[in-house]
Amino acid sequence: MTLKVGDIKQYLYCPRIIYYTYVAPVDRKVTPKMVYGKEEHIEFERLERRRTLRAYRLAEGERRFRTPLESPRLGLRGVLDMHVVTSLGCLPVEVKYTASRPGLNHKYQLVAYAMLLEDAYGKPVRHGYLYLIPSKNVYVVEITPNARAFVRRMLLQIADLIRRETFPPATRRAGRCVDCEYRRFCGDVV
Amino acid sequence: MYFLTDEERKHLLKGLLPRSRDQGVADELRGWNWSQPPLSPVYDMPLAIYEVAGAYCPTNRDLYLRRVERVRPKPSPAMARGSALHAALVHVLVAAKRLIYAHGVDNYQEIFRSLQELVPLSIEPYTRDLAPTEAESLRQKALIIHDFERARIIARIQEILTKHPYIGEDSLVSLALPVVVEQKLDGSFLGLSANLSTDAFTFCEPMILDLKFGEPRKFHRLQTTGYALVMEAIYEFPVNLGCLVYAEFRGNRLIIKKDLHVIDDELRQWFIEARDEKARMIYEEIDPGVAEECHPACYCYQVCHR
Repeated sequence: MTLKVGDIKQYLYCPRIIYYTYVAPVDRKVTPKMVYGKEEHIEFERLERRRTLRAYRLAEGERRFRTPLESPRLGLRGVLDMHVVTSLGCLPVEVKYTASRPGLNHKYQLVAYAMLLEDAYGKPVRHGYLYLIPSKNVYVVEITPNARAFVRRMLLQIADLIRRETFPPATRRAGRCVDCEYRRFCGDVV
Repeated sequence: MYFLTDEERKHLLKGLLPRSRDQGVADELRGWNWSQPPLSPVYDMPLAIYEVAGAYCPTNRDLYLRRVERVRPKPSPAMARGSALHAALVHVLVAAKRLIYAHGVDNYQEIFRSLQELVPLSIEPYTRDLAPTEAESLRQKALIIHDFERARIIARIQEILTKHPYIGEDSLVSLALPVVVEQKLDGSFLGLSANLSTDAFTFCEPMILDLKFGEPRKFHRLQTTGYALVMEAIYEFPVNLGCLVYAEFRGNRLIIKKDLHVIDDELRQWFIEARDEKARMIYEEIDPGVAEECHPACYCYQVCHR
């Protein structure tokens, strides 16, 4: 079974999203936030083509947008927002529309893309970037051995959840349920 | 054994320390956020750090037996050996600090003489259940540690004294022996025992040290992670570094290897997951079953395979 990079983000946000996606699929309501996020991504791409690479502290490099990546070895696939190919290697850039600091779910999504890029280019990826659209802030994320191991473990946990078809407990952070598109399917959250 | 070599210090200062500061740690995984998920405990089931971090039994049945079935197997020889050698080390470090305060800097020669004459800790209480040959071997090892540590401490005091002509006792202790041994910590904020004790803690750059006498294992890093989280919860300052000190005896020689590491997001999450899983196992009294491959030296082996 091939999982999507987005599944890692969703699993960390709330494991029930994986259950609703793979085990008992339900009709997901597209929220205004999702539509707005998509529009902002298109705008980011348009502007990014005209910019230098100074935000990433790079002197040279070629930007590549919306690259589909797949690794049968990892059992993982996804479409990377952007990556920069330089003479020293390639660096993934994951674009997020969030006003707060990047969350752990964003970090591990980036690590997963880095692992996919490594397979695609056959070169190690040392770090990647999280670009936050509202603040235009760029966060450098080091791709550490521990972070790679964590992603692998998470992929196993997600696959295990799907295989066992067990309904997982909801996230312990009640605030996440407030504007969750799956909320109406959970009977036990406030 | 807790003092770093020049190479280790270089690795720490030029490698790990800047990396730990650059890399950062997600705020939700800092100990001071103990009141919110994911750090806030789910179950009212205080655990010791070694109970969360220990994964010698593949199914954690040793923990289940001890906490749910109330089985009290005898400590294994390896456990007795570890406790005795820890105690032998603490004895020298604490005695050295005591001698500095007792004699003062002006009587430094008296400090050295008293240290030279320091009687090694009696390890008899730890050898009761050991075979005579094992007990003798343990006595030898404790003596090696005693001699090694004493020599290093004397060298360190001498070095500091030659550098600082106006130094006082308290500063000498802090510079020559910059570790707190057996630091007591209250882990109840994180659903851990209120009576925790970390092997050693350095305060110049907050770092948790843990001494091991067995084979290096990946999960040993959970031990330093647990103490780091507790320290952050109590004192509200970041603790980013851990150091596992592996001591090994080759004949009469003591070999020391150190695993310096950043206490990163992944280790913190691993620790929290282990805490929640194990607390649930005990709270719900779930017997995880006997592991497929048990270690014959496991102190619960007889209970699981009777």
